[in-house]
Amino acid sequence: MIAIEHVSKRRGSAQILSDVSFTARPGRVTGFLGPNGAGKSSTLRILLGLDRAQEGTALVCGKPFAELPRPLMTVGAVLDGSGAHRSRTGRAHLRWVAASNGLPRSRIDEVVDVVGLGDAARKRVGTYSLGMGRRLALAAALLGDPDVLVLDEPVNGLDPEGIRWIRTFLKERAASGRTVLLSSHLMGELAETVDDVVVINHGRIASRGTLAEVTGRHRTLEDAFFALTSGQSTVGTEGEAL
Amino acid sequence: MNAIRSELHKLASLPSVWAAIAVGLLVAPVVAYLSSSTTLSAIQAGTDSGPASIDSGFQELAFGVVGAIILGVVAVSSEYVAEGEEATGTRQIITSLTAAPSRARLLIAKAGAVALAVASLAMATSVITLTVTRGLLGEASVPLTADTAGRVAGVVVYWVLTALLASGITLFTRSGIVPLAVLILNTSVITVTYLLTRVTALANYLPDMAGLRMFIRELDSPVKIAPLNGGAVMFAWILFVLVAGAIVFQRRDA
Repeated sequence: MIAIEHVSKRRGSAQILSDVSFTARPGRVTGFLGPNGAGKSSTLRILLGLDRAQEGTALVCGKPFAELPRPLMTVGAVLDGSGAHRSRTGRAHLRWVAASNGLPRSRIDEVVDVVGLGDAARKRVGTYSLGMGRRLALAAALLGDPDVLVLDEPVNGLDPEGIRWIRTFLKERAASGRTVLLSSHLMGELAETVDDVVVINHGRIASRGTLAEVTGRHRTLEDAFFALTSGQSTVGTEGEAL
Repeated sequence: MNAIRSELHKLASLPSVWAAIAVGLLVAPVVAYLSSSTTLSAIQAGTDSGPASIDSGFQELAFGVVGAIILGVVAVSSEYVAEGEEATGTRQIITSLTAAPSRARLLIAKAGAVALAVASLAMATSVITLTVTRGLLGEASVPLTADTAGRVAGVVVYWVLTALLASGITLFTRSGIVPLAVLILNTSVITVTYLLTRVTALANYLPDMAGLRMFIRELDSPVKIAPLNGGAVMFAWILFVLVAGAIVFQRRDA
């Protein structure tokens, strides 16, 4: 369960986020949609304690992220890129991440298998393709077998086969009662994966609800998204217009 | 404990840390070999009756601290290296903070890991360097007394504090280039801090100049500072820089 309540952030004179509120519930994949620069990554970074908001709270399972004693066992995060130093091997990266939360070494082999990193895990991260880097980041996020997964643009850099794989993986994850929150600017990739949708534009929530609610009378989620973000009103969607 | 173990894993799996250790292990012994050979020929030629300088071996250890500097810098700068052109700048610090969100604990663990690694490096290098000096100069070299053991402890403290100073400065810059250039140049090519002692006696209380008193006995300076006091002055400097760096790290968006 993720609860973001009334989060606002300024950077210098720029208002990055204004009164952002939404929840991501267990058992569902929640898509956090918006054009580039809308504030998706900033919101996720605040949720993960990386950036600070001037106002509002972001809670994971009822607690601020920074107060989780062994966070990897509650939240797995996949932000842009691999999150690994390029001169380490994939396995060496996973080893220090596992050690930081006192997780057993055996988990490393398990997550390498789950994400299909294979022999690449023994190579330096600097030699990875973008897609392999994403798989490594996901492997690190899964080390603690967390109840909550937070992913920023998870399909970026993945090949078609990888995109198909991660969709299935995230759906299964949610089906087992876990919470999945993912951000994306690609509507087409998402419509088949998400159960709930939160649309953000210019730092404000434009709409939120189930996929059907937000799509409303539009033909597709993509149409609804452009209607919501092109500056026109929220006419035509049955999601909670904000 | 998990945090320190994790930081030690980070250090041990970074090639630049091993390069730093190699530099640390090699520089002082090699320079000691060269300078002791020169001293030895002077003694044999009768132009120098010995004993060799009370600081032979230790001067080289002061110089060899570059290995500790590199280690201290890369321990922090590696968190901020952007990934390459394709990915738009994720850095390891994101993973570090999502795995261990307490920034204070992360920094303490990192400082602890750097201190452990550099203390072992300094100990090993001191033994090798003094063995090289003794092997060449024999009885003309520094005697193996309790005082010498105390000076080796001084070398270890000096290396550890210098590495932590390097880490602390890198917390501000995030890139390793400036701290590496400034600290290595000051240690090797032009010792600005030493030149400053020619201008003002106060410069004797700069961190490196004060810290050297822990093991260098014939420092060319009219200001006398006892070894323990020198160590205390250096420690106060490093504490100040680390606390200031920690405050910046705590407040900054990652």
